[in-house]
Amino acid sequence: MAFYKDKYDVIVIGGALAGMSCAMRLAAAGKSVLILERHNLPGGMATSFVRNGIEMEATLHEMMSLGKEDEPLYIRQYLDEMKVAIDWLRVPEAYELYSPADGIDITLHAGRRADGTWVCADEIDDKYPGTKKEVNRLLETCRKVYESVLFLNEHTLSKAEMLLKHEALVKTAGYSAKEVLEKSFHLPEEVVKILSAYWIYVGQPISTLPFTIYSFLMADYMIGGSYVARGFSHEMSVAMAERCEELGVQFEYCQNVEKILVRNGRVYGVRTSRGDEIHCDYIASAPYPNTVYGRMIEPQSEVPVQARKYANAMPMSVTCFSVVLLLDQKPEDLNIHSYSVFSSDIPFDTDVFWAQGRNLGGWDYLTTICLNYANDEAVPEGMTSLSITTLPLPESFMQVRPDQYFDVKRSVAKEMIKRVSSHLGVNLLDHIVEIEIETPVTMSHYTSDYRGGIYGYQHSMNNSVVARLEDVEKEQYIKGLVGCASHQLVGDGMACNINNGKIASKMILAMMEEQA
Amino acid sequence: MKVNGFLKDVTGASRVTKARRELIEHGDPNNIYSDPIRETAKELHPEVTKVRVIDVKDVSPTARKYRFAADLGDILPPFMCGQYCSLDLEIDGTVTTRPYSICSAPFEAREGAEPFFELTIRNGRPGEGFVSSWFYENVKEGDTFKAHLPFGQFYYEPLRDSKHIVGLAGGSGITPFYSMAKEIAHGTMDADLTILYGSVSTKDIILKEELEAIDCDRVRLINVISGDEDYDGEKGFLSADIIKKYSSEDSTYFVCGPLAMYHFVRGELEKLNVPARRIRMETFGAPRDITKAEGYPEIKPALFALHVIRGIQEDLVQASSLEPIAVALERAGIKNNTRCRSGSCGFCRCKLVKGEVFVPAEGDGRRRADKENNYIHACSAYPLSECTVKIPIV
Ligand SMILES: Cc1cc2nc3c(=O)[nH]c(=O)nc-3n(C[C@H](O)[C@H](O)[C@H](O)COP(=O)(O)OP(=O)(O)OC[C@H]3O[C@@H](n4cnc5c(N)ncnc54)[C@H](O)[C@@H]3O)c2cc1C
Ligand SMILES: Cc1cc2nc3c(=O)[nH]c(=O)nc-3n(C[C@H](O)[C@H](O)[C@H](O)COP(=O)(O)OP(=O)(O)OC[C@H]3O[C@@H](n4cnc5c(N)ncnc54)[C@H](O)[C@@H]3O)c2cc1C
Ligand code: FES
Repeated sequence: MAFYKDKYDVIVIGGALAGMSCAMRLAAAGKSVLILERHNLPGGMATSFVRNGIEMEATLHEMMSLGKEDEPLYIRQYLDEMKVAIDWLRVPEAYELYSPADGIDITLHAGRRADGTWVCADEIDDKYPGTKKEVNRLLETCRKVYESVLFLNEHTLSKAEMLLKHEALVKTAGYSAKEVLEKSFHLPEEVVKILSAYWIYVGQPISTLPFTIYSFLMADYMIGGSYVARGFSHEMSVAMAERCEELGVQFEYCQNVEKILVRNGRVYGVRTSRGDEIHCDYIASAPYPNTVYGRMIEPQSEVPVQARKYANAMPMSVTCFSVVLLLDQKPEDLNIHSYSVFSSDIPFDTDVFWAQGRNLGGWDYLTTICLNYANDEAVPEGMTSLSITTLPLPESFMQVRPDQYFDVKRSVAKEMIKRVSSHLGVNLLDHIVEIEIETPVTMSHYTSDYRGGIYGYQHSMNNSVVARLEDVEKEQYIKGLVGCASHQLVGDGMACNINNGKIASKMILAMMEEQA
Repeated sequence: MKVNGFLKDVTGASRVTKARRELIEHGDPNNIYSDPIRETAKELHPEVTKVRVIDVKDVSPTARKYRFAADLGDILPPFMCGQYCSLDLEIDGTVTTRPYSICSAPFEAREGAEPFFELTIRNGRPGEGFVSSWFYENVKEGDTFKAHLPFGQFYYEPLRDSKHIVGLAGGSGITPFYSMAKEIAHGTMDADLTILYGSVSTKDIILKEELEAIDCDRVRLINVISGDEDYDGEKGFLSADIIKKYSSEDSTYFVCGPLAMYHFVRGELEKLNVPARRIRMETFGAPRDITKAEGYPEIKPALFALHVIRGIQEDLVQASSLEPIAVALERAGIKNNTRCRSGSCGFCRCKLVKGEVFVPAEGDGRRRADKENNYIHACSAYPLSECTVKIPIV
């Protein structure tokens, strides 16, 4: 009698989006795969919860990289190819940016017209006349970079071909979004601000955000729009988990991997908290390198110095603070009219917002999402589902002790609710039916992700995706061990992590081939 | 390697690649791993807390209060009034758990020479409750348990609830209100509490002395007695009239008691047009008789084969149609995670691979996608045929 096979080709630690994506593709290639997930649900952060019979979304605001069914973007294509069926609902607008100190209140929509111009360029031009041409030019540049990145994700080219066919990417690869936006385009300050609102989806101020990532984000959202799943992010997670099992993946919940076993520089298995020692040739790991090298590798003498340097040097990106509300009236009655609002209570400045992320509260940049406008039937009749989110840095919460925890999270949440209330002119505190406050500690509790991180490492100029790709091979410090979550190549977000998982599977398959 | 350094040798790319290599080269070569946020998360939600009974006291002819302190080096996590604790139990080959509301105040688990928490367990009819009678007959000072706490959403949330709480209690449902009363009296919970406590006779009042000993003008206790015409005080059930009499303009109602009381009280609150957001109900446990639940199909009580998949192993056990699958597993000695045992917390989530089950609407705390994909909460799923379930390896 045994619960596990003697040996697996691959053990995937963590059954979240990246882990499932990786496992599914390996299983489709005929490999024996075991997923060990510490929680009793799939999906990690991509999850929902139920309060008094009402389901509430924990995280998913906008799923990118899907595009319409008849014009699928790369993640929709991948999910189709893997036969993962999810009932997607399109989000109505791209976003509203509300920054009264700058006199900005504008709503943009995704979409590109047959003549190649962009819907949002017209919307901006309406308020800032004469900017249409430059905005179109900027978005065209973004689109070219985007397409190059996607093409090069699958193909290798010579230097000459690169320069010829992927000029936009090559030219901008060494620069930050701020440098390119301000130096290569002639746009009023307000328009630059309007077009920087998505910075929060990578948690990086535009001064240190590589233009490559900026372009990817802008083009992806503006071409494809964004989506939510009809059955919350849990629908996406369950659909992927089901598909994994159909493909023969053994998926075990409630199994925390305590140790990664290494011998002669190569992984050979894991040990779980239950005490099971399970053997394998390869491991894909959701735990961050900090955790893996810091306390999971056994024996610790197997951790190369270079690996420690790497983990210790990697700059942690943001974590999150999110207030999830169910309110007792319809959105219109609460003066809520948009799905997604980014708001700033000071003049818009991503450097300032980012630096505020070190503090506990006092956060001026908030994202407010009203689920009704994308998925009305998910919200009880006559009510509103609203979340208010900001992405502070882990240091904001490092000093919070358990005894202060409830008070701290309530006082910060209250401040955020008051800010949004004042924008709306409606006191939301008078309308709360359910409230859940998600903090960095919540993230750590449910995923055990390092320091409650949700976005992996910073997408900064000194940790650019371009450089990450360049050195990915060198950074396989322990043979057979690959990272598989937000701390990997492509970084944060649900779509990106499905891609991170796909990349991890490719890397493992390649290593298997080399080995053979 | 199939991942392409797609900008190999291209200018611009070399600028960022160099910057990153420098960054890594300057990384600390030592193991400096520390994760204070993880430590806080673990202290707030310990997987398990080893506890020891340090005192046992009768608090009514049919209820007993057990005081627990952390055992050997463990510490008690903070909790909020109204949350519950789940105890791991092993009784005659059955591995099970039971949830009990914590009846002591949060501050008592944080302060003093020996911080503690308390549970009050009722044993109405001796020999009936499987666990409660075992508790009554066996548990004494010095016994140790594995406890899981805190759980549950039945707590006062100042951002949501009115500052005036009306507690509607019945039977052992008084326990969370005793916790609140003490926390308020101690000055660490900022609210006013009026408890309307329904009992058949004054003999049935649990924690009577303890409640009477609370001396604080923010806390009021009104016993409502249904079975004694001569009682000198509020008589009858927790009716709209009585509730109204003790309510303020904007009160939040917390309801905790037996299932029958919920149905009654819900109707009474409706008569008073209390808005939904002002009513908080505690989960009430599995129904005593599932065949009486709404929508239960016409089938005779039966024993079914239950195939249990854990990893690559499959076991065959028996399951009664009258008991939830979680109980069938426990009777067979198969460990399974449970906390609330009411269908709401999801700890017992598992996959129904084959077969048919009945899930009472009132105990269906599943997510939409789980319902659509045949995931069940084993504590609130009753077999209607031979079944196969895939459960976590515990
Ligand atoms: C409030 C909020 C809103 C968000 N909104 C969006 C959005 O709108 N769009 C978007 O694209 N992204 C959004 N994100 C980000 C997105 O949720 C994450 O980037 C993404 O889900 C991360 O996926 P992942 O695969 O990296 O793993 P994670 O979800 O981080 O999960 C890691 C998994 O590994 C498991 N695990 C860890 N350690 C172990 C171990 N030792 N043993 C076993 N298992 C282990 C964990 O239990 C978990 O399941 C949001 C995040 C938050 C917090
Ligand atoms: C959130 C919450 C808080 C609670 N707080 C309190 C509290 O403060 N005080 C209190 O007294 N109660 C409380 N309860 C109720 C408590 O958890 C128990 O349900 C109650 O004590 C009755 O349990 P029992 O073991 O005596 O009854 P049981 O007779 O055990 O009945 C419950 C279940 O046990 C099963 N069962 C019977 N015999 C066996 C057997 N041999 N092997 C395995 N399973 C068997 C039955 O099928 C049934 O499903 C609370 C419940 C909840 C949900
Ligand atoms: S134990 Fe809570 S849902 Fe079953």
